[in-house]
Amino acid sequence: MREGFRQELKELKAEVLSIGRAVTGVTRDAVTSLVEGDVDLAEKVIAGDAEIDRRTLGVEEHSLEVIATQFPVARDLRLLHSLTYIALHLERMADLGVNIARAAKRTADRRGPQTLYDLIQAQGNLVYRVLDATCEALEKNDLELARKLQDLDEPIDHLYKQFFRELARLQDEEDIEWASMMVLASRYLERIADNAVDIGERIAYLVTGDFDALHDLDQEND
Amino acid sequence: MSYRATPVADDAPEKITVTGLDFFYGDFHALTDITVGIKEKAVTAFIGPSGCGKSTFLRCFNRMNDLIPGTRAEGTITLDGQDIYAAGVDPVDLRRRIGMIFQQPNPFPMSIYDNVAFGPRLQGIKKAELDEIVQTSLERANLWKETKDILGRNGLALSGGQQQRLCIARVLAVEPEVMLMDEPCSAIDPTSVQKIEDLMDELKDRITIIIVTHNMQQAARVSDFTAFFLQELAGEAAVLVEYDRTPNIFTSPKDRRTEDYITGRFG
Repeated sequence: MREGFRQELKELKAEVLSIGRAVTGVTRDAVTSLVEGDVDLAEKVIAGDAEIDRRTLGVEEHSLEVIATQFPVARDLRLLHSLTYIALHLERMADLGVNIARAAKRTADRRGPQTLYDLIQAQGNLVYRVLDATCEALEKNDLELARKLQDLDEPIDHLYKQFFRELARLQDEEDIEWASMMVLASRYLERIADNAVDIGERIAYLVTGDFDALHDLDQEND
Repeated sequence: MSYRATPVADDAPEKITVTGLDFFYGDFHALTDITVGIKEKAVTAFIGPSGCGKSTFLRCFNRMNDLIPGTRAEGTITLDGQDIYAAGVDPVDLRRRIGMIFQQPNPFPMSIYDNVAFGPRLQGIKKAELDEIVQTSLERANLWKETKDILGRNGLALSGGQQQRLCIARVLAVEPEVMLMDEPCSAIDPTSVQKIEDLMDELKDRITIIIVTHNMQQAARVSDFTAFFLQELAGEAAVLVEYDRTPNIFTSPKDRRTEDYITGRFG
């Protein structure tokens, strides 16, 4: 009985990790589609979202079944609760990826200044790093890495602000729709990384069992 | 069952205070250096693997262990600040203040009425008052409706779950301050278990309850505080590993041994 239960916990965690890596892939594809004006790739990102929704819902359903039948406590309970929470974040991150892909579709027929594409790509590269670290922290229950996510997120926020400054300089000659799509994409990337930082906080709770630590981290964020 | 909406306050008084308690069965050192404060008007659960000394510890509170030759307790246990092992303490009086419920319901082979009236009669309470005490006690034990028309029937004719509630009514009849329950639900059906758990929730408004249970879900459901006991090696004295509010024990236990036990990794 208990062996089966442990196996289920392992499988659930593996599924959440796998969704996490899929979301990293979605983010990469979304940024590439935007930077390269690749409409086909953007379509692929948009079409793949239903599958991620289905899988995150599956995690929630499965967690509830295990809670209802196995009476998990302590770290088992924290794991199930955290996995459900993390899956919800991943689902939102994938939605943000879809938003970037939509922006790619709407801007593909125009070509703006290269500096802005470079900025988006640079921001994307930093976000991939946060996402990879998030998956690694979850996989290894790595408290230190989970807490470092916030530091990794900081330059992403800076790039978002820099993006605004660059845009202000170009404002007169660019068309407003293109510019606003690019700003939004930069904002979506920043939000994806913020969600990853939230996941890091959940991992810290999962490992320590301490809600206060999570709260302290939130305070630092504000 | 009402979920405990209001947690017991941190500064709630201690009804029983145990300090540095060691307990021996002859040469066998059963419990070592137990220090714990049992909060008043709360439910405290003792959990741990078989043989971890939790029942032995429970029986120290009403000096039931005194009845076993060769046992001795060192350290102190106070009830409202008074040492219960002090010279001059009458164990019989102590057991009126600290009642006990056992795993097997043990009604006396007499009528339901006489079972409940047994304690008050010993205290010299007269017939006129007895009727009221019997009714109130059966009501508080949630058994009145089922028995009010058959009070003359033998207590042993009741079902197991009813017998256990009859035993609770018998304890309540002498107005105890503390009720010790040693696996009270192990021998009864699930519906009766539910009734007894509901009952504990109602009773803790007035009395302090300590329950020993092997059923961790039950400990999680009914108790405000949980104490985990463990005998790490056969033949060694058991220790109190962890004592905390029940939600903390079942979500974030601090000691790895508690974690391993409650998640079923050993024991």
